[in-house]
Amino acid sequence: MSMVRVFSEYERDFVEQADVAVVGSGPGGALLAKELSCAGHDVILLEEGPPFTPADFELDGGLSMARTLREGGLRTTRGYVMPTMQAIALGGGSLVNSAICVRAPASTLEDWCGEFELEHTSRADLDPHYEAVEKFLGIAPTPDDVLGDRNLLFRKACDALGYSSEPIARNVRGCRGSGECFTGCRARAKQSMDISYVPAMVKAGGRVLTSVQVQQVLAQGRRATAVTGRVVRPFSGEPSHSFRVDARVIVLAAGVMATPVILSQSGDLANHSQQVGRNLQFHPGVAVAGIFPERTNPQFGATQGYHSLAFIPEGFKLETLWAPPALLAVRLPGFAQALKQRLAEIPYAAIWDAIASCNRSLGHVRARRGTMDPVITWHFHPDDVLILRRALWILARLFFAAGARKILPGVHGQPPEMHSLEEARVLADSELRAIDLVCGGNHVFSTTRMHGDPGRGVVGEDGRCHDLDNLYIADTGILPQSPSVNPMHTCMALAHRIAGHIAEAL
Amino acid sequence: MGIWLLAALLLLWIGLRVFGGYRPLPPAVVTLTRREYAFVAAAADATFPRGGPIEPSGCDAGVPRYVDRYLAVVPARMRRLMRLLFFLLEHAPLFFPPGGPSGLRRFSKLSPSAQVAYLEGWQRSRFFPRRLVFTSLRSILTLGYLSDPEVQQALSLTPQEIDTPICEADGLWPRIGESRA
Repeated sequence: MSMVRVFSEYERDFVEQADVAVVGSGPGGALLAKELSCAGHDVILLEEGPPFTPADFELDGGLSMARTLREGGLRTTRGYVMPTMQAIALGGGSLVNSAICVRAPASTLEDWCGEFELEHTSRADLDPHYEAVEKFLGIAPTPDDVLGDRNLLFRKACDALGYSSEPIARNVRGCRGSGECFTGCRARAKQSMDISYVPAMVKAGGRVLTSVQVQQVLAQGRRATAVTGRVVRPFSGEPSHSFRVDARVIVLAAGVMATPVILSQSGDLANHSQQVGRNLQFHPGVAVAGIFPERTNPQFGATQGYHSLAFIPEGFKLETLWAPPALLAVRLPGFAQALKQRLAEIPYAAIWDAIASCNRSLGHVRARRGTMDPVITWHFHPDDVLILRRALWILARLFFAAGARKILPGVHGQPPEMHSLEEARVLADSELRAIDLVCGGNHVFSTTRMHGDPGRGVVGEDGRCHDLDNLYIADTGILPQSPSVNPMHTCMALAHRIAGHIAEAL
Repeated sequence: MGIWLLAALLLLWIGLRVFGGYRPLPPAVVTLTRREYAFVAAAADATFPRGGPIEPSGCDAGVPRYVDRYLAVVPARMRRLMRLLFFLLEHAPLFFPPGGPSGLRRFSKLSPSAQVAYLEGWQRSRFFPRRLVFTSLRSILTLGYLSDPEVQQALSLTPQEIDTPICEADGLWPRIGESRA
């Protein structure tokens, strides 16, 4: 039997046994499964989505989202309404993200330790784990030859204003700057989990079940005994055969939205603290388009190749951005001929964005009745809106410092185009409401947060659920709050550490 | 009796004017209904009128066919929401008339200038949910418009040819929907 089973290979209900069952093949789950397989344990990795080959990638933005993202890429929050994207594919979000790998700042981790009663989660504690991940995935700063004009203009702008900036470190090998990170890397430069940790896990003897939706964790007393669920058809989600995987250790790495839903559907498992599904945080992001006098050829270059961490103390991070133009165009203002005029300016455009650490803006996740889909509710705290207002102003300054002839800030109630810094000053001075922004809900955290106090968190620093002896969580849900930067690297570092704890426990 | 008959005829007339008289679907349209197709076609041309810096109109660029295909691949719940969106915008001119001599008409029967005025009303509304509805529609139409090869060529956004190198994952799984060799 093949080590990676796909939908067409399930012919009947089945039961499997393993030392460890890992639910979810995103960065946390795939890494952990590989580490434990290489340590000699019998591991089964379960993934709800299908595995993609490069021939399966759809270059069209909308169709790509429909195939690789949950709810067809149309998932939104309630409360404050914004889109949020979670992947459903072997490799999880790593298949369609920009491969950004940034270590969390030491100051942020210090804050975590103080506020969440953590004793072993300082930067010094995590650095060996970050290093292990970097070595395996070849994480390195984006080289100049694949930056392209969009990224180089950002560097020029930061230099002009004296803001520190740097090429983004990414898990890529041999990037050609094709700018296709969000639809799947046809050049196979991006070391997404499906072509990095998963093959390594399989090589070490691990087994992978794709197109299986875990719906419940079974437990007896303080021990989780198995996961159960249904085989689901790729894309439609139509259920077919039932399955059960018995395991000595179970790891949930299904993601910030799915993990709490599984726990909830398992009889409110691991929820003595009443924190499962709560404390939901995002990195809400805004993007500004700048139009330059010369062509920027924006389709060339690393999707997100440059960033500035200069404003982390103020709560936001600046970075360059590229995505399928149809998705970026959603942010362009206008209609009819005015919209066409702006579309025609795409070859002259650069798009830069800001993501904010909004620790005051919280939400929660619960299961939609009768489904495994989450209902996501999140509220934007007015003080956190001010962070993004400040970020918009800084982005405006950067664009004009780089020589943009106009910017499109995408803020309701403000001029759709601003032609000078003086015009843009309104971004800094206006009364901005959350509903005036076109925000995206990037990066999600904390719905099964790590906390030293079992009464206030779901897992401890070893990733083990406080309420059970052998149930672990290894996705960004365990981050107690925003890591201030893109979370994938920190998620993988924590998963690497958790793998060590599990190996000791087995 | 006469009043009731008159009222019934009036209702029938309103019903036909609002809900009836849609043209048959073009061949190969499989997901959109006649009403939805008429709405999407009208909205596509209002959002992307012919001419200007990019020549093709929304219908020239095949937006209705794209939406038909897109609707088929999104999950059922999202499909229902999108259908609701189309229905709402098609018939909401009754409640948010675009101004001018539009009469009691659905969106797809408005004049092109009234269609533009009507959608601009949604875009500029101070009421956030109305703006959200507009943004959702425009996003769907824009996905379709920018998927057209002629539009992509006009914007220098034609996808690059990329050769895919061999890697360790090759052979671990087949293409989606295919059997293992």
